[in-house]
Amino acid sequence: MNKRTKYLAVSTALFSGLLVLGWATHGTGIVRDDPERNIVIPDELTSTLQVRAAYDGERIWFRYRWPTERPAIFNDVLVYQDGEWVARGGEALGPNPEYLTEDRVAMMIDDGSVPLFSRYGGYITIGDGLTTFTGVPETDEERTKYLPSTRTDPNDFDTMRPESELEALRAAGQFIDLWQWRSSRSNPIGLGDDGFVAEERSGDAGTGPYTTNFDRDTGQPLYMFNPEVAGSTALSLDAVIAGDVGFNDTYYLSAETAVPFDPNLDWQNGDTIPRRFLRPTDGSRGDVTQPSAARWRNGFWDVTLVRDMDTGNPEDDKIFRDGGNYDLAFAVFRNSSTMRWHYVTLPVSLGLEQPAQLVAERVEPGTEPDWTQPWTEITTFYPGQVTWGRLTDAQQHPGADRIAARVPVSVRHSEEQLALYGVQMEFAEEIRAQWIWTLIVSLGLIVGLGINVNLLMRRREEQK
Amino acid sequence: MTRHLIHPRTAPNAERKGTMKRPEWRARARRIGMVATAATLAATGAALAHSEGGGVAVAVEGEAAWSLSPVYHILVAHFPVGLWVTAYLFILIRCFSDSEFAVRVQRAIWPVAALGTLAGFVTYGLGLTIYPWSAITESPLGRNHILLATWTLSYWTVMSVLGYRFRRHLFEGAQRWITLALATIGVLVITITGTLGGSLTGTPSLVTKSLGWIGWNVYMTFYLPTWMLWAFGLGAVAIVALGVMGRRSRA
Repeated sequence: MNKRTKYLAVSTALFSGLLVLGWATHGTGIVRDDPERNIVIPDELTSTLQVRAAYDGERIWFRYRWPTERPAIFNDVLVYQDGEWVARGGEALGPNPEYLTEDRVAMMIDDGSVPLFSRYGGYITIGDGLTTFTGVPETDEERTKYLPSTRTDPNDFDTMRPESELEALRAAGQFIDLWQWRSSRSNPIGLGDDGFVAEERSGDAGTGPYTTNFDRDTGQPLYMFNPEVAGSTALSLDAVIAGDVGFNDTYYLSAETAVPFDPNLDWQNGDTIPRRFLRPTDGSRGDVTQPSAARWRNGFWDVTLVRDMDTGNPEDDKIFRDGGNYDLAFAVFRNSSTMRWHYVTLPVSLGLEQPAQLVAERVEPGTEPDWTQPWTEITTFYPGQVTWGRLTDAQQHPGADRIAARVPVSVRHSEEQLALYGVQMEFAEEIRAQWIWTLIVSLGLIVGLGINVNLLMRRREEQK
Repeated sequence: MTRHLIHPRTAPNAERKGTMKRPEWRARARRIGMVATAATLAATGAALAHSEGGGVAVAVEGEAAWSLSPVYHILVAHFPVGLWVTAYLFILIRCFSDSEFAVRVQRAIWPVAALGTLAGFVTYGLGLTIYPWSAITESPLGRNHILLATWTLSYWTVMSVLGYRFRRHLFEGAQRWITLALATIGVLVITITGTLGGSLTGTPSLVTKSLGWIGWNVYMTFYLPTWMLWAFGLGAVAIVALGVMGRRSRA
């Protein structure tokens, strides 16, 4: 091998080596947690939710099962520290390392009244400028998800239609029924939480299963544990965080477990009292209950919710009818996460003894389901920060024309794909810039190789 | 017909000596140019004729003022892929054989590769008309397809120039193995570009999954970390420098 050929071989090896190195290191250096911008990426981007459904003509049951390493049975708590009661937990960016953010499961239900819900599920409720999205300034009131039809400009949170129009939309069925189960704020007393998504995400009329256990005027809790029931007036923060307080302990406040707070007791630093007081529900908000309080076992939450098929509140709830078909979308808050750090599903069809992805089995009236039917396994995924405004804008989303043509999201995207896209959307500008530089520099490398090879390739006569 | 009666080792004498007559060269270039122009015009005409109408018109916010259906890009993409893969097949044959047949197909390598490159430019251009630039570069899969298409096109442009300039010399001595290595990289990038195009239209293939097995989930944007960008940049300079140094070595 002559010298020029050796140079050529070295150049080709260098080029190939750079390609291999580029392959090995690509996609690194940008995607990382950035709490300053409300960005925390879950370790797992997808998971699985198992669901079963049954009905007896009067009531309908849904049973949910999903994995989580450790159950979060507390939400926010009040901790005594140097003479003050300080709130801790509740809202958190991503998983709460202290497990002071409750686990949840939520189910959105529609009967076909909400345009596009059956095709795009919860994506249609994510307008621009919602709370916790990167770049959205903090506001006094939470800017929740909403239906596009409730705004004159669907992508502008502040353009809500007049009350009269909202009422007309509600009467026409343009709302999503929202069931929730909360491991701390409803589960201990065997309740769910019935809400809706329309002009906002909120609870139905009536009282929910929890209220605040804090007196703003005195800066003290309203209730403490009844020592005769719980064995003490407060829990230890260390025990709560370490997970040493479990289902067999008295860990929640309710009429049965609490007594009025006594400020004159000898409170010690680290004494911990739940910041929520659980109570019976009332009105439409109390329609969703549990047959019994759920437990976490062997790495899974196993939760059952039940509701009357016809609650008599048709403007708060979607009414289930025997033989009917409905659309569902689920959200699972696991590993002590809240807000948008949840795992969602694409829309799932529900049939009451009708062909669908999830078929609710009919049971004898007055009996409970025996749950012998197989689980329907549904992939859940972290959705990142993707707004409906972005998805429907052809300048931002190549598939906007297919949304306009009503092509369901599941036709074009898998859950894994959507999770990856959602994460990348959180770093859209940085990734795009890095990608353009990659394009330019790699093109330079190829041109360099072209020049090199043209200089070094030899013709036989050149050797003479 | 006469050409087939000439012994392959003697037939390309004129070409081998680099003394092809100028009028003959011009005539060949003219023929290639006419065929390429006709193909381009036909494709463009067909695209324009079918770019409107059909289906239900739906108003989309932010839609580009003018775009082509992906159908034409997909249709035309078969030409560069087919031609480049054919060129690779010929290179493969020639690298491992000095037979009469291998020598014959070797003469077709550069025209086939060059035609593929020409068709590649048309395909690339058609691809860029489908979606607004701002939209396709928001899509990880779109970015990846553009990146790999750019690599493929630039790479095969280089290969075509090499093929034209060095022809049979590409297969002399140890150079044939370098030619084989370069062409193999070329056919790999074609394969990846094609499979990304398939994924973009909603039909991922086994190749898409295979890429995941070897470290690249195609739904993640392919971008290099900053230090690697520097390595690529410096590597490009080093490769050119090696070329200049090797050229000067005169060995």
